[in-house]
Amino acid sequence: MALDNTDVKQKILIADDSEINRALLIDILGDGFEFAEAADGVEAVDILQNGYADISLVLLDIHMPRLDGFGVLEAMNKRGWIDDTPVIIISADSDSDFAQRAYNLGVTDYIRRPFDAYVVRRRVQNTLMLYEKQKKLMGLVAEQVYELQKNNSMMINILSHIVEFQNEESGPHIQHIRIITEILLKGLCELYPRYQFSQAEIALIGTASALHDIGKVSIPSAILNKPGRLTPEEFAVMKTHSAIGASMLDVLPIYKDEPLVKTAYQICRWHHERYDGRGYPDGLKGDEIPIAAQVVSLADVYDALTSERVYKKAIPHKEAIRMIKNGECGAFNPILMNVLDKVADEIYGELHGATSESYDDDLRKITAEILQKNSISSSGRTVSLLERERKKYMFFASMSDEVMFELSYTPYLLTFLNGGGKRLGVSETIVPDPMNSGELHECCGEDKLKEISALLHAATPENSIIRCEGDIKIDGDVRHCKLVAQAMWSSGAEPELIGAIGKIYRAD
Amino acid sequence: MTVREFYDVIGGNYADTLSRFLSEERMKRFALKFEADPSFSDLCAALEAKDADEAFRAAHTLKGVCQNLGFDCLYRPAFRVTEILRSGDLNVGADMDELRTCYGVVMSAVRALRESDS
Repeated sequence: MALDNTDVKQKILIADDSEINRALLIDILGDGFEFAEAADGVEAVDILQNGYADISLVLLDIHMPRLDGFGVLEAMNKRGWIDDTPVIIISADSDSDFAQRAYNLGVTDYIRRPFDAYVVRRRVQNTLMLYEKQKKLMGLVAEQVYELQKNNSMMINILSHIVEFQNEESGPHIQHIRIITEILLKGLCELYPRYQFSQAEIALIGTASALHDIGKVSIPSAILNKPGRLTPEEFAVMKTHSAIGASMLDVLPIYKDEPLVKTAYQICRWHHERYDGRGYPDGLKGDEIPIAAQVVSLADVYDALTSERVYKKAIPHKEAIRMIKNGECGAFNPILMNVLDKVADEIYGELHGATSESYDDDLRKITAEILQKNSISSSGRTVSLLERERKKYMFFASMSDEVMFELSYTPYLLTFLNGGGKRLGVSETIVPDPMNSGELHECCGEDKLKEISALLHAATPENSIIRCEGDIKIDGDVRHCKLVAQAMWSSGAEPELIGAIGKIYRAD
Repeated sequence: MTVREFYDVIGGNYADTLSRFLSEERMKRFALKFEADPSFSDLCAALEAKDADEAFRAAHTLKGVCQNLGFDCLYRPAFRVTEILRSGDLNVGADMDELRTCYGVVMSAVRALRESDS
């Protein structure tokens, strides 16, 4: 982030319980950076909590009072900060178990004591550069994927248009087939979880669909463009286009084994098969027909019906859907009929509203998927958005008369927002091991803490709000207060209690 | 007192520290800072209170600081005391005595270094 804007210094968080060690690191790294200092793990988490987007790098000691370096790393993992904030461990311990545990928790590098000024400086610079580079590379890769995809699609489109040109069919047919194919596939995955196509696979089948009629280049144009009905002989010739198209791909000297070509082969050869086995060229039946070919076949029929041809007028969308479902235009897989039902409106909307190319959209989806797979949870932009949300939240919290708090179980920390803790007589914003905090015992009594803890542990994801009330010390007096909190659960098949957020307010 | 003389008096490693710190000025500045470092008194207090965890952390910090500053004479007993305390054992006897002696030597040398300055 900061390298893009040379005016802004990158900020390094130094967490080490020795003041001398922190001062030494700051001195070694020099005034090219800004620094935040933490004397223990709780302070480090506090600083990250209050603006981790500003921190470009964390230098982390392991042995610290209250919360150690591993505790900080656990918090950084839990909250996803570790994904885009590099951490370098500073430690004298050469224990390899330590190093392994730290690396498993997402640490980037290790600096051993005694500090060597040159080594420290280079490690820090390299790590910052690497992260900066990684961010830039991610951008570059996305751009190149986009360019490649665009060029590929362009070549395929040109090729298909040659076929269409000879075919004198409507221009946008290829585009339409691709759009409809992708919508159907998406709907298929949503409705029938046994079909699991990734965004990239859907885009691939969409691209391959453009080649479905390439075999038509070998059909004499007298037959191809005959305005009237074809004779049985002419129809027999016409029908050869699917097998010819497939064999054109099959004899390709290279790309034959590429997923795109393999998929295109299926589509070319079998997009005139019928689910009841009465199609051509192979008379495949039911699920013997690859799903990509089934979907393109349906897309082809829909677009043919709703487009104007030399020999026919365009049929309205609703009527076309009705005819297909009624079995007037071929026999299709019943599950595809259900999918068509579900996505019919979307198909109509896409074909009539959006005429522009959807490469951007594809790319966005594919990129999002890659990012998700690699669990890079937040781009710089998301981070700053979250940051803004957080500031907004903090502002409202400061305007409120309520004491707001956040509880996390690993690491076991209770955090008060905007000075709420002070009102309860708690001196720190973050309270490690709250159940055993003397100040909290003083405030509401140990039994109350146990009661709240029991309520939280009895909560379920369906029933996650807990309430209780009692007399507690607030603003220097004992008052009757109420507490309401929402238990927080991990995502996944078996949600696990990870903490809670809540507020305490005076009931008098 | 020069920085080199200071390191000689306390049995520190002048050459290695200079190669790591890259400047004698920085060595001096941080040697003087050692006077205010609380880890030794933290260690004594924790031993007094028989708090093995806290004693370990303080010893560990003292060891790390000495290692960084190249105070080898003090680093060696601090290392041994840290390892004893790591296992939760509060019996630091002879090693702690050596640590105390070395700490005294370092502190008086630091004062001499500061005074020779003014």
